[in-house]
Amino acid sequence: MTRRGSFWRDAIAILVIAGTAAAISNAIAGPERRLHWVGAYSEKAPDRAKPAAAPLAVTPANAAATGEPGKAFAPHPARAWVEVSGDDVAALFSRGDVLFLDARRSSVYREGHISGARSMSVWEADVDDKVKALFAEGRDQSAPIVVYCSGGDCEDSHMLGQKLYFVGFDNVLVYKDGFPDWQKRGLPVGKGEPR
Amino acid sequence: MSGRLTSPWLTSRVQFVLAAIFVVAGFSKIVDPPGFAHEIHNYALVPGPAVNAMALVLPWLEVVTGLALFFGIARRSSARILGLLLLTFIVALSINLVRGHFVDCACFGVSTAVKTDAERLRDMKLAIARDVGFLLLVGQVLAATRREERA
Repeated sequence: MTRRGSFWRDAIAILVIAGTAAAISNAIAGPERRLHWVGAYSEKAPDRAKPAAAPLAVTPANAAATGEPGKAFAPHPARAWVEVSGDDVAALFSRGDVLFLDARRSSVYREGHISGARSMSVWEADVDDKVKALFAEGRDQSAPIVVYCSGGDCEDSHMLGQKLYFVGFDNVLVYKDGFPDWQKRGLPVGKGEPR
Repeated sequence: MSGRLTSPWLTSRVQFVLAAIFVVAGFSKIVDPPGFAHEIHNYALVPGPAVNAMALVLPWLEVVTGLALFFGIARRSSARILGLLLLTFIVALSINLVRGHFVDCACFGVSTAVKTDAERLRDMKLAIARDVGFLLLVGQVLAATRREERA
């Protein structure tokens, strides 16, 4: 009994010290390193073997704008996001009026991102403020927004898409192959501080 | 033979090695809590609301326990805590291995390298084997300090 009591007493003391140190380090950390104590994530990581997204709706009005006849990017209020290919994203980029959001960490964004994209890392403490601020800009909620991360099994862009959907954006397009695909295509890349 | 395996000379060195491993592992995660939270989330084992708290506290738990072991403070309890942590890591990796969900271990911080599933699979197996080895070290400390408990 005494031995067990001793272990639990030590364990609680160590846990209290660790918790206090964590609280202090989190309080003094910058926004890129800070975390909210309660995470706002779904309980299960999205299934990586997700089936391909449903075909995008086609509207003749904006089919021409994408540069690909028959392909359009109509709002999809019933779905948080739809996945789009690199060709779709390149066409959207060429329009010049489409917002691009980078869901990767700010440190990775600095090293290289889609030219003109804004940083909105889903893992950093200020992401919800950034999403709300974006909404507060009064943008057209049905205009396409392209979100991307590192491609492959990266789910950050889907998580950001979910957050954007919850505040009211209903045309979030997830660039499923992400920044590596963009680089492979040799499309414009920017570097520098998050914006 | 058993006397050699539990000698104070060996025990102090094993303690030092274990402490160094956990302090290094803890600090490598402390520098990037959001990255570590991301990796914990990828394991798909921790409830979403608890991911961040775990990402914040677990690395400090490793560091504090490692330092306690290094300085010989409550060393049996520290060794037990490290043993429990290692068992938890082994179980978490094994569950994901069994269900074919390949994750980055994030044992020593967050990796920015993009890995294939085959590379992740290999790394997970290596991490489990390494953690079993560390468990043996914990076992040595516990065996060598049994007398402390009796005292």
